[in-house]
Order: sequence, then C-alpha cells, then structure tokens
Amino acid sequence: MIELEHVVKNFHADKNNSIHAVNDVSLKINDGEIFGIIGFSGAGKSTLVRCINLLERPDSGSVKIDGVEMMNLKPRELYKARTKIGMIFQQFNLMPSRTVLQNVAYPLKNMTREQVREKVRELLALVDIPDKENAYPSELSGGQKQRVAIARALANDPNILLCDEATSALDPQTTGAILQLLKDLNKKLGITIVVITHEMEVVKNICRKAAVMHQGKIIETGDVFTIFSDPQHQITRNFVRTTSNLSKIETLINDNSPMVKLKPGELMARLVYIHADVSEPLISYASRAFDVEINIILADVEIVAGAMVGGTVVIFNGPRENINRAIEYYKSKNIRVEIIKDAGTPE
Amino acid sequence: MPELKVLLPNLMRRLPEFWKACGDTLLMEVWSGAIIFVFGLIFGIILTVTKPGGIMENRPIYQVLDKIINLFRSIPFIILLTALMPLSRAIMGTAIYVRGVIVPLVFGATPFFSRQVESALAQTDKGLVEAALSMGSSPLEVIFRVYLRESLAPIIRAVTITIISLLGLTAMAGAVGAGGLGDFAIRYGHDRNMIDITWVTVIVLVLGVSVVQWLGEFLARKNTH
Repeated sequence: MIELEHVVKNFHADKNNSIHAVNDVSLKINDGEIFGIIGFSGAGKSTLVRCINLLERPDSGSVKIDGVEMMNLKPRELYKARTKIGMIFQQFNLMPSRTVLQNVAYPLKNMTREQVREKVRELLALVDIPDKENAYPSELSGGQKQRVAIARALANDPNILLCDEATSALDPQTTGAILQLLKDLNKKLGITIVVITHEMEVVKNICRKAAVMHQGKIIETGDVFTIFSDPQHQITRNFVRTTSNLSKIETLINDNSPMVKLKPGELMARLVYIHADVSEPLISYASRAFDVEINIILADVEIVAGAMVGGTVVIFNGPRENINRAIEYYKSKNIRVEIIKDAGTPE
Repeated sequence: MPELKVLLPNLMRRLPEFWKACGDTLLMEVWSGAIIFVFGLIFGIILTVTKPGGIMENRPIYQVLDKIINLFRSIPFIILLTALMPLSRAIMGTAIYVRGVIVPLVFGATPFFSRQVESALAQTDKGLVEAALSMGSSPLEVIFRVYLRESLAPIIRAVTITIISLLGLTAMAGAVGAGGLGDFAIRYGHDRNMIDITWVTVIVLVLGVSVVQWLGEFLARKNTH
C-alpha cells in the first residue's frame, strides 16, 4: 500500500519565487490497484509520482510504502527499496549503448551470467518481445522500446510500477497495446500500478480509481466511474468532456446547425447516465409510456471501469406535461437531465 | 639511400638526434597524457555530479574546482612553464629535459581535458540518470554504469582532441629545454635555417595527428549505436 500524507514539494526558481509543485497532497493507493493521476501539464503529477520513490524528496509530509516510512531510510536502504518500485517513462530512457538484453539486465545483481540471461528471457517473453534481446534500442519502434523499459522495470519483481506518461509518446494503436499489457501484468503479477497521464482515455481504459490533480493539489479522487459519470470539479468536467462526444452539441448550437433547430413545443436535453446500470430500454419505454416523441441527436456510451458511462442528446416532442413526466421518470432512474434548449410551449 | 641524402642533407646528417627527438616527444605525450587522463577524468566527473542539479550536488566543491580550472586555463602555457619551475624541481627533481616538463604539461592540459570530459558527460540524457536512480543505483554506480559507459564515444573524442593539443604544448616545452621535435625544429630548422628539417618535422607531426585522429574516430564510432 502506498500512503502519502500532506506531501509538499516546492521548487525555487530564484530567491523570491518558489513553485508549489506538490501542495499538501494526501493519497492512499491499495495493493493490486491500477490508480490514475490525471492533470494538465504543469499540474505537478510528475513531481508527485517522483515523491513515491523519492527521486524528488518532499519538503515535508510522509511517504509510506507497505507501512515503511521512505523519508527515514538511509541512502543504502533507499536504493534497496527502489529496486522494488519499478518506473517507466515517456521517453523510455533505455541506455543507447546497451543491447536489449543488457538494458533489462541493468538492475539485476548478485546473479550468474546464466541466471541473468534466463531472467531476461523470461521478462522479454512476459512483455511479448522474445526475439529482440540482441537489438540496440535505436533499432526498435516506440512500442517495443516501452516494452523493453517495462521488462527492465520488472526485473527485480517489484510490488509497484510507476508509469510517468508512459504512453504519451506513442500512437493511439500502440498506446492501446501497451495499456493492455499493463492491465495483463496487473492481473498476472498482482502488481500495483500508478499511472500518470494527461489523457483521459488512458485513465478510462485501465484505471479503477483515479485522482485529478490541478496546481499541485488533488481536487477530486475516487472511482473512475464516478469521476466520469458525475464529475464534481470544473477541471474534471473539462477532462471528461475531452473524451465525450456529447459536448459537440454546444458546437452545433453555436454553428446554428439545422440539426439542432427546434420546432415550437420541442425541448432539447442531455441525458447522462450516473448509475452504473443502464440495461433498461429507457428511450423507447418513456416514449411509449408518456406518449412523447424522443429523437436521438447524439449518443455516446462507453465502458469505463467495467460499467457504462455516457448518455444521449435528445429532442422531446409532445404535450409539455407529457415531456415533464418523461423527464421526472428519467430522474427517478438516476439519469441526470440537463435542458440544453427549450422552444417553449406552442401557442 | 643516396637520394635522401641529396633531398634532406641536414636531416640525414642528424638522424640519431632526430630519432631521439621523436622519442622524447612520444615520451612527453605518454607520461603527461596518462596523468592528465586520470586527473581530468576525475575532475570532469566531480564537476558533472556536483554542479547545481547534479546527482551529488555540492556548491562549495563545484565552485572551487570550477574557479581553479578557469584560473589555469587562462594562463598562457609559456608562462606556466616558467612559473611552475620550482614546483617541478620539488616534485620531479629537475626543471629540464622530459622529466622536468611533465609537471607544467599536466597543469597546462588537465584543465582543458577536465572541461572536455565535463561537456562529454553533459551529453548524457538526464532521463538515463533518472532511470538508473529509479532502479536503485547509487550515485557511484550512476557515474560508472551510466555517465562513463553511455558517454564513451564523446569521451574518446575528448581524449583525441586533448592528445593533439598536448602535442602543441610539448613543442612549446621543447623550447625551454625539454627536447623533443619542437626543440629539434627550432634549433636547426629555424635558428640555422635548415629548411628540410622544418619540413620533415611538420610531416611527422601531421602524420602523428592524423593517426591519433583516425584511431579516435574509429573507436568512437565503434562505441556508437
């Protein structure tokens, strides 16, 4: 378990200016979890993750890993503790003068040549590039480089893997493959994974829990599903919006698209699923039960952390009291209804 | 070979002296070069790791070393040669011949090589250092397994440049009693106007520089992937 308590890290740009990179952050990450820390660049998330393995030593606060206070370790003990905390980076950071085999073997100590070779082969098979052991990093693609970096980070069988923007330099397809690998490793090895990213897609893809970071502080934390379906903070909403199509309706309205022109009596609303269970046929049921036409303009439903997140933008058409009853019905079903545009009741 | 006697009359009459001059130059290069290599490498590493943001950041050590290196780099070598004569006598027992010129050569070229090493190590990607630390490497391990290993090619190039500039210094040292090719060329080629001796000296030096340059580039390339 990783426990951060009131961690503070300041950087001093010059005598009078200091930047609060991490400002009083407390965080608990359980064993076996894939935990996301998301924020725009400059939010302090890279510094925060370095406070976990003390690559950045916090100015104050407490960093406990499995109950051991990292801040109190002597240098030798700290180096030893770090071998049990793997880390991968955006730029892979493979040593260009060493082959794949030598790179992965870098952190291995007190082993015979044969044992090293065997361990490296095992690791390369685990990350699915068994045939590259004699290649140099310059001969590998980005995805392959990151796989080697993951193998190297896992060399000493760590309990924790820190990923600092590990997929940000990769194309979407490779990103997907690396995320899948991380997910598999989490399942197979039970390793705790901390993912730092500015991409909501990444969090949505592999994390169960996440924290949103802004200006050195954690502004929201919890289940990824809750963060997605019911974001509390404006920054979080902005992040969620970057991955959802539902916000495109505002663009359509601003552009005065004929798609979103309302006839008198019509009402446009966004229906957002908050509850994790949306297996009921909500649209067709409400349409029949309350005798209103419900026209779907946009829909975007995704699987986040194993549950559905998203919603639709619809236009209701019918007598106003029927529309209101349909909306009441939706609210009772744990669906958030946001009225976007109302053409008013016809004369 | 009678042709050579016609073409290079003065040189052929002083062949044994010429070979000794070549040997002396080589001796100066090797002895001072070895010492400079060791000290320069150590100082270059200390500069790299103690500078602000380095893995063993230490302001006083960095500032003192930085200033000393700047001080010695700013003294023209010919002045250093005479200024260090007492020190040379104290350490080596003499201030002339090859033995007497090793001390000023070391003081003259070590600061240069230290800076070369510093800039070679500075080319190491900060990310590699961070990755090594994250894997539990101690600062000492980072120096040997990351800094030195990963900047082998630029360090080889730094050695090449230093050997070549050291050759220039040995020629100067020759003028104040160390012997060697510089002394040989000045005494005969310049003072007695024996043009063939000047030319042969130049050719030997050009060949020497070319070999060092070629070898350095070959080794550097071999260590670049």
